Amino acid sequence: MSAPVSIYEPFRAGLPPLGSYLRSLWARRSFIAEFSRSELREQNYGSVFGQLWLVLNPLLLSGVYFLLIYIIGGHSDATRYGHLTANLFLFYLISNSLTGGVKSITAGQRLILNTAFPRVMLPISATVIALFKFAPTLLVFFVMRTVLGLHYSWQMFWAIPVILIALLMGLGMAILISCINVYFRDIASLLPYMTRSLLYLSPILYHASDVSEKIKTLEVVNPLFYLLDAWSQVMVYAKAPDLYSLAHAFIWALSIFLIGSYFFLSRERDFAVRL
Amino acid sequence: MISLSASNSQNSIHAKHGLAVSVQNVGLTYTTSIDKRPTLKARLKSLGRGKKHTRVVRALNEVNLDVHYGTVLGVIGSNGAGKSSLMRVISGIVPPSQGRIEVHGSVSTLLALGVGFNPSMTGRANVYLGGLAAGMSRAEIDAQFDAIADFSELGDAIDAPMRTYSSGMYARLAFSVAATVQPDILIVDEALSTGDAHFKEKSLNRIKELRTADRALILVSHAMATIEDVCNEVAWLHKGKLMARGNPADVIKQYREFMQVGKSAAANEDV
Repeated sequence: MSAPVSIYEPFRAGLPPLGSYLRSLWARRSFIAEFSRSELREQNYGSVFGQLWLVLNPLLLSGVYFLLIYIIGGHSDATRYGHLTANLFLFYLISNSLTGGVKSITAGQRLILNTAFPRVMLPISATVIALFKFAPTLLVFFVMRTVLGLHYSWQMFWAIPVILIALLMGLGMAILISCINVYFRDIASLLPYMTRSLLYLSPILYHASDVSEKIKTLEVVNPLFYLLDAWSQVMVYAKAPDLYSLAHAFIWALSIFLIGSYFFLSRERDFAVRL
Repeated sequence: MISLSASNSQNSIHAKHGLAVSVQNVGLTYTTSIDKRPTLKARLKSLGRGKKHTRVVRALNEVNLDVHYGTVLGVIGSNGAGKSSLMRVISGIVPPSQGRIEVHGSVSTLLALGVGFNPSMTGRANVYLGGLAAGMSRAEIDAQFDAIADFSELGDAIDAPMRTYSSGMYARLAFSVAATVQPDILIVDEALSTGDAHFKEKSLNRIKELRTADRALILVSHAMATIEDVCNEVAWLHKGKLMARGNPADVIKQYREFMQVGKSAAANEDV
């Protein structure tokens, strides 16, 4: 009989066998999809517009921020509005991933205490939910940019690698923060201020080129600064992004993802005891 | 040397043939924090001194237990005996503090009903959600869906959101989903006592159907009649220790006598 043998021994901080871990994660992909879908539906449960909020939310959001920059800046042109909307939407992909991820482990207590599964599934589904929310905003943006009369070009296919980098970053952040929250619950209360700071420190309400050189060098420590700059170049100006921006974003995203995953995977067996 | 080690490994394969779960010297301790005054001031005061208000709870203490295929093992014991902890350790949810557990085969756990269910969704959607959470594939659930719906006796209510269900309906659907999973090793914790008498009997019969030679069942229950009816072996836990194990009638008799003797015997127990 060649039944699979599992051995359980006392917890030591260390990575589980990655091959079998990834296999069992892959086997649960349809659960991740179903779980994310039901969480998403629950968020709009009982509201009149239901899933339409997925489109209404980004529209209202960009409207509010447009009002803000119109009052502060005193002028508005198509590119400025396009830039604001595009970057706000991508920013929300990452920030939704963070806010969904932070409590994914602590809120999944019942699941964690009663079923054995790769725990990383929970922050992954937080990112999947953020992606589900992001997809309609992309559609809204394309309608908007056509109405605004911004031109299209083949260079816009650069959007694909930029989105992939943003997803990697969002996923890495969700994994990292969900794990931190198990040991340090206060992080959930700090998070709104962290995302708010990121919002203002990143080129969303302004252009990356508006910032002085001195501040620009400091922005190297902001994982989102060059990512959002690249996104704006591609989506608003239909230009190829600056390779430096792309590399900066990718290195940040990969580092956060690797550090977060290591931290998470080496400790996830301990989670059930900590909840 | 080489031939010796080769024959040894051969022997061990033979010895382990039919072994489903092997629990070896397993201990489990939880550290719980005790804050008499859970205030910020008290916390700040104790911060620098490295003094922690914690209490160590020994949930399991040197438990040794082998479960072979074809066995239906009942686990009994009073509240806080460590039954659920043992189940969590065997299913890999909580790592043990000492010892080692070997599990030969796929494990499915039914430790609580309705794990993974989302009350905002319909019963139908939750059959998929719960089934996927238990490790079934979508195709398997598709194939079993009618059987699950029939078993739950929910009728049209299967398409209503689960937050409109009564607790009995909720438990019935949850049990129906869980009972369709067909693992090598099934661990059931207090899940048989759901619903009314009619459904209770139905679920008991379902568990009996799952008793086959190539499967191991572990049932945790306080219902001694059920344990005696279904199981062919019983293990009795008390305060984290394995007190007895063997023939259901004998062990249950010992357990009953012990519980009636009461506090004096329980006090001796800590030795």
